[in-house]
Amino acid sequence: MPEPLLAVLDALPYLLEGSFVTLVVVLGAMAFGFCLAVPLAVAQVYGPRRLQPLVALYVWFFRGIPLLVFLFLFYFGLCTALDINLSAFTVAVVVLGLISAAYQSQIFRGAILSLPEGQLKAARALGMSDAKGILFIILPQALRLSIPGWSNEYSIILKDSAVTYALGVTEIMARTHFVATRTYQHMPLYAAAGVIFLVLTWLGIRGLRFLEQKVRIPGYSHHEF
Amino acid sequence: MRKAWQLAAVAVLCLFLVSPASAAEKIYVNGIDANFPPFAYVDKKGVPDGFDIKALDWIAKDQGFKVKHQPQDWDSIVPSLLAKKIDIVASGMSITDARKKQVNFSIPYWKIQQVLVARKDARLTVEQVLAAGSKIGVQRGTTEAKWIDENLIKKKGLKFQLVQYDSAPLAIEDVLNGRIAAAAMDDAPAKDAISKKKAVKILGTFGMPDEQFGYALRKEDTVFLGKINAGLKKLMKTPYWKELVKTYIDKK
Repeated sequence: MPEPLLAVLDALPYLLEGSFVTLVVVLGAMAFGFCLAVPLAVAQVYGPRRLQPLVALYVWFFRGIPLLVFLFLFYFGLCTALDINLSAFTVAVVVLGLISAAYQSQIFRGAILSLPEGQLKAARALGMSDAKGILFIILPQALRLSIPGWSNEYSIILKDSAVTYALGVTEIMARTHFVATRTYQHMPLYAAAGVIFLVLTWLGIRGLRFLEQKVRIPGYSHHEF
Repeated sequence: MRKAWQLAAVAVLCLFLVSPASAAEKIYVNGIDANFPPFAYVDKKGVPDGFDIKALDWIAKDQGFKVKHQPQDWDSIVPSLLAKKIDIVASGMSITDARKKQVNFSIPYWKIQQVLVARKDARLTVEQVLAAGSKIGVQRGTTEAKWIDENLIKKKGLKFQLVQYDSAPLAIEDVLNGRIAAAAMDDAPAKDAISKKKAVKILGTFGMPDEQFGYALRKEDTVFLGKINAGLKKLMKTPYWKELVKTYIDKK
């Protein structure tokens, strides 16, 4: 067997283990981002006028600074200044989550605004409070419509997660680098890492497409499947 | 479906509650540059391995403390040590006066020479490599990167270009690609690359004084330093030390 192939086969279990780390970082960040993004989006659409600049500031701030700068800012700056000892893994999830929240909030905002205005009026007519209407009428529909945008976000975070290797998170990229410096088989190993990322992207997008079909609103989806 | 959501919620919560375990017994964390064979790297199973890893394991066993090795970026290894993210750096670290201002070093355990690595078929002299218009690779955050910049470029006014890399093996890769004329590094990783049949050779030294490797610790950890030094002194007298040198550094 040629040496490059041997190096890849040798490293494969170790790299695949790394894809598990990558996925946990990505899913953790997406979940964390989701929990922040929903209130942000609701505040931006329905919130009081005073809140608007704050939400806009958040979005502008977290969309405007490169990921690597944030990672270092949190890990070596904030954590050290506040004397909190968070692991590189936790910082990666939090920072990716905070940035993702900014993007996700805009996906949800777009989805909320795309719903007919009559929906909330109808909820009020049924005697629901505004909060109830948003929670039980608006959001369930808006979230369904957000899935395509969400799968886009997934693929972006998945790729961004490779940057966290700079903090020492042993995800796919870090592991590939370790093996490459030991074996000097750079080309085949980075190619293998690329393939693993491609597969992970494909799996995630397939999964979300499946979810989209499962929960689509009959007669009110972007396209009939 | 509901169960799944609950599980996911619990999992996310757990993520944030996972703080460094304040277990009864402290586990000392050794921050390593896992891209620095033969002193520190990860083996096929992803387990940290290398000369420094094996040596520290022996010392830990001898002195009765627990240690784990954590790979991380070399560039930020001292900030990590000071921020208490790691407790010791046993990973081919050169003892320098600048570093001594921030950290304490153990007794020196290995002498290292800085060399220039070029392609095997290159007909170059060290003088030609240091000439104007040529490019030399270094690993970011290393003593050689600093020394070359301060002495050869700023003091002597030599006009070659310094190119920064994440690790010595990546610099070697670019020597092979022909992007840079040579890479400056410690002689041990250079010999390691040659032992792995890479088509490179050691061109020679470039005037940088020899250095010694030592383990770096925080200034306040004097008791721990005592343990490390006692263990290291003991280890260097054992046949196991010679074996380590033979296995990791002198391998042909």
